[in-house]
Amino acid sequence: MTRVAITGVGLVNAAVVGRTDTLARWLDAPAPGGAIALGALIDETESRRLSRVCQLTVAAARLALADAGLAAGAPLGLVVGTEWGDLRSTIEFVDGYLARGPAGLSALLFPHTVMNTMAAATAIAVTARELSLTLNAPTVAGELAIARAAAAVRAGRVEAALAGGVDQLDPLLLETLGALGAGADVRGEGAGFVVLESLPAARRRGARVLGELAGAAWRALPARPDGVGRRAASRAIAGALEEAGVPAGAVGAVYPSASGDGPRDRWERDVIAAALAPHRPPLVSFHPPIGRHSGLGALAVAAAARRAAASGAPGLVHALARGGTHVALVVR
Amino acid sequence: MEPKEILDELRGILVARLKFEPRRAADVRLETPLPKGVEGSIGLDSLDFIELSIAIEDRFGITLDEAEDLVPHFASFETLCRYIAARTASG
Amino acid sequence: MRPVAVTGLGAVSPFGAGVKAYWNGLAAGACAIRPVTLIATDGFRCRIAAEVPEGLGGSARRSRGDRLALAAAREALEDAGLGRGERDRAGLVVGAVGGGMLEAEAWYWARHHGRAPAPRRLRSIFPSAHAGVLGHALGLRGPRETLVTACSSGAAALALGADLIDDGVTPLVLAGGVDALTRICFMGFNALKLLDAEPCRPFDRDRRGMSVGEGAAFVVLEDPDHARARGARVYAELAGYGMTTDAYHVTSPHPDGEGMARAMRAALAAAGVGPGAVGYVNAHGTATPQNDRIEAHAIRAVFGEGRLLVSSTKSMIGHTMAAAGALEAVATVQALAHELIPPTANLRTPDADVAFDCVPRVAREAGVDVAISNSFGFGGQNVTLLFRRP
Repeated sequence: MTRVAITGVGLVNAAVVGRTDTLARWLDAPAPGGAIALGALIDETESRRLSRVCQLTVAAARLALADAGLAAGAPLGLVVGTEWGDLRSTIEFVDGYLARGPAGLSALLFPHTVMNTMAAATAIAVTARELSLTLNAPTVAGELAIARAAAAVRAGRVEAALAGGVDQLDPLLLETLGALGAGADVRGEGAGFVVLESLPAARRRGARVLGELAGAAWRALPARPDGVGRRAASRAIAGALEEAGVPAGAVGAVYPSASGDGPRDRWERDVIAAALAPHRPPLVSFHPPIGRHSGLGALAVAAAARRAAASGAPGLVHALARGGTHVALVVR
Repeated sequence: MEPKEILDELRGILVARLKFEPRRAADVRLETPLPKGVEGSIGLDSLDFIELSIAIEDRFGITLDEAEDLVPHFASFETLCRYIAARTASG
Repeated sequence: MRPVAVTGLGAVSPFGAGVKAYWNGLAAGACAIRPVTLIATDGFRCRIAAEVPEGLGGSARRSRGDRLALAAAREALEDAGLGRGERDRAGLVVGAVGGGMLEAEAWYWARHHGRAPAPRRLRSIFPSAHAGVLGHALGLRGPRETLVTACSSGAAALALGADLIDDGVTPLVLAGGVDALTRICFMGFNALKLLDAEPCRPFDRDRRGMSVGEGAAFVVLEDPDHARARGARVYAELAGYGMTTDAYHVTSPHPDGEGMARAMRAALAAAGVGPGAVGYVNAHGTATPQNDRIEAHAIRAVFGEGRLLVSSTKSMIGHTMAAAGALEAVATVQALAHELIPPTANLRTPDADVAFDCVPRVAREAGVDVAISNSFGFGGQNVTLLFRRP
């Protein structure tokens, strides 16, 4: 078992487009953002064949690798979390058929209908040739991807991995989320990755270490598939703290997955409170300025690492989905 | 159809189906090669060729048999225009 | 890695519900590829697929994908003899692509035609819906994940499940894959001109493309000590896997099969066995001209030429997408257990590129100790699973 270092972060969302330094400036003076400008991150030849959600992913992955100073072609794994995949391309593909029949189907769009399209595009763009995974989950996908990648690095299955997530808003999606009663959610879009590396490997190459991903665990709490449960005893938080060797009372701050979905947010607060009681560290949330999306996991991990480095107290990144999947990451 | 007219149709397909910038499509000449990796080409890969062949079948009302070796016809816009002209003329 | 025991099997295939029906179909060399009934196929060159026959059971309010997954998952858990208490800490890893898209498509089509269908139909649209349904219905509260690596999703799910056991996170994992037929999948492969109008013919000189299928398969993976302690029957060991990425092209495999060969070699290395130990390869074998040529090349690069038995069960049940890797894992485990190699159906003239025995048309009795199952997906996602007789 090897220790897991966080050596880079890349973010592309409404508020932050950049790396560790950009994030630091924003954390010191958070401001709501505007439209996402990808500018020089994607060149014109690439953009022809990359859908927008793929472009967001590739851009954030490149920023994270540059931030980590990891050379192109180094052995690299990739874990991408996403809630909705490339739904816009899927709709466009289907619309082609509905408008013109078989002749209206696009061969170029079809691969985008499978959710691994962002990982596939990114693996090619950054030459990630080890395992590449796409994990699909509601609201927790970015944190889950980071937990899975951390386990792979810890066990020595990969030396370095890009881990995070991406989502893109779509009008049809927002309409149906609303119709299904989840309309209170504050959803956003963007991509975010951290670079996780075995700590010895990071030290060998003289990398700047932003923090350590000291514990990661994911489990399921009992709940109906789209429902909110009642049980608050979290095996994920207990597992992540145990792996990190961090007592609950030492946690300096918690980064929950609050999204504005009232019942779910209250359940998560209860889960966190039960796991850390009687200790009540501050809760730090990013959904009001940026909107909940799968790229926020990487942002929370990077923010937790920064705060932990300044305060000396480890941070807990937490995410809980309707249906009960929940993830805990201990960062120090 | 004249090769010139066919080329204009192909330019339209480049924009509408292969997502090229209009000015890039306008720059295309008869001698411009198609396949990626060839000097001065517009850089089409295997998936682009499938998309292009679907669009050609649709626009010109011909069937491209994948068992036939189409590679020589997809070398440049000139070879492609000539092939389409021959196929449409023969019905 | 530490070998992981396979202690339960479940499958819903185009041969019907249950591992028994599935294995009997494979052993008989039967072909379940027939005219499509679930969706309209007017105007498409290919109009056949391998559908799961009627009598699926389960609530009609659930998506077809959820019903396929539930039936296979229940069978695997019962086969392993796992009670409610043991399931509580079991992990769940689901490989999926289509999710509830078949129902979402019906919703979208209705909307396109001016009707206003209930958005409830969209609830289970995404792949992760299966895991929510399975986890809740079966009481699985360990780690829960949904994995999308295109056509290798089902195999990748077993690999990630084995990791959870290897890492000591949980001693029990239900892992598998599911996909119901969808319009998008059928239309998309038609658009790519990758579908044969006739049932697919893997490794045949005259192969013209793949046949789409649907189904689900789950296996119970278990820590060997845990299995021994409770006296569980062990079908086989998942002794190694390889997972690699081509990083080459979105739909085409690397022309040399470099990523495929790397996955096979990684699986051998993880299990600590040489290529000579492997007696059977359950190939990805989609029957597209390109896949079979490159896979044959990669198999030859790893194993050399000779007596190796290689078959594609897709010749009988089509390409079941995210279920394929899991269904083929079950076929591989059964081949070890029954000492019978399922054939490559519809194979008349083996391609000149093929340097091995493709077990044409008729199953072969052969006692094999080690077998691998290959699964490759769009995006250059290669997975090889290595199974060993216990």
